[in-house]
Amino acid sequence: MANPVISILRAGDTTKSDPFTICIAANPALEAPWQTGQFVIDPIVSDPAAFDACADYINQSLFGGLPNQLEPVLSDPAIAPLVRVTSLFESGLPLADPNSLVAQDPSSNLLIARRAVFRAFLAARSLNADVVYAVSKSGTHTRASAWFTSDDDAQAGVPFTLDGQALTHRYQCLIPGTIAIHSASTSLTAVHEFHHAISSYSNGSIVDLYVDSNSALNCKRGRPIPFNFATYNGTAMASDMTRDHLGYPPGWQSCHCELIDPNVPAIMDNYWMAAPPSDPNACENDRITRQFVADRVRAKLSR
Amino acid sequence: MEPMRQETKTAILNANPQAEPEIDEYERLLAERFTIDPDAPATQPLEATARVHQSREQRLQELHRKLFAVVHHR
Repeated sequence: MANPVISILRAGDTTKSDPFTICIAANPALEAPWQTGQFVIDPIVSDPAAFDACADYINQSLFGGLPNQLEPVLSDPAIAPLVRVTSLFESGLPLADPNSLVAQDPSSNLLIARRAVFRAFLAARSLNADVVYAVSKSGTHTRASAWFTSDDDAQAGVPFTLDGQALTHRYQCLIPGTIAIHSASTSLTAVHEFHHAISSYSNGSIVDLYVDSNSALNCKRGRPIPFNFATYNGTAMASDMTRDHLGYPPGWQSCHCELIDPNVPAIMDNYWMAAPPSDPNACENDRITRQFVADRVRAKLSR
Repeated sequence: MEPMRQETKTAILNANPQAEPEIDEYERLLAERFTIDPDAPATQPLEATARVHQSREQRLQELHRKLFAVVHHR
């Protein structure tokens, strides 16, 4: 290893050997293009100030600290003090597969997390995390993306039901939720991607609501839109009949859960489309997403 | 996946006012990528999974070439 600088941005639950942890790492090498095995140095490793600013932005946004931010995310006083947030900055690493956390998509300007290498990369530095942000300063690719968590379904967790189906907020994962984000990201981007990443391939996924997505925790399909969206842990939740001011395009089959604030898009919808005088930072979740994320984080905090 | 910026969408539509359905398809296919666990044990024959993946990626390449022929990402 070259010269890893590990910072503790929030100590979290220091009574536990494995507290719920979010790690923010500078990406040492970019795979360009994605899935080619060709690597170039990520400019972020030459700009520690940009990395620190991005880590601060992510940390602030996850705990409700952006101007006009209303969604609490992790700022609940029963949650915030228990969440550990670390950052990792390391330069001078060889341009090789194990050191590349982010790839550049050849079909878009998306940054893509190379999720399979994250766990070993962190473990080599004695780190572990439930959700990992990899920060890039790519000169061409600036749009963030995330993969859901691959839960360890052989291990325990907190059971819940979704429309009668028995699922579990698992304590542990096989692959953490992974996010590729640009150092210049702003507004709710870090929060939007966190919601994807904390969700699960096998126990409830949180999908994008600005496309006609397939069914997931926060998205159902069918017309007419049903009054009841879902029953989560015995609580019935209504549908969002109008998709705030955006409306469901003709031809869409997907529909969403009722919004906490029906005047602004959901965080998992197109928050850039918040109509003035609203601010994208003021977008909030729909009801099922807020409850699910809070429950899932609480489950992990209790392990 | 971060939503496409409105200024990018506007630039594409200025270059091609008929492009809205293709923008929607492009965005839907990009988002769909992340909804499938790429590291999960195969639940269907590998060939079938690979075919679906390949077909999506080919279509994304086509749409990307078409939509961004004269417009730069922002």
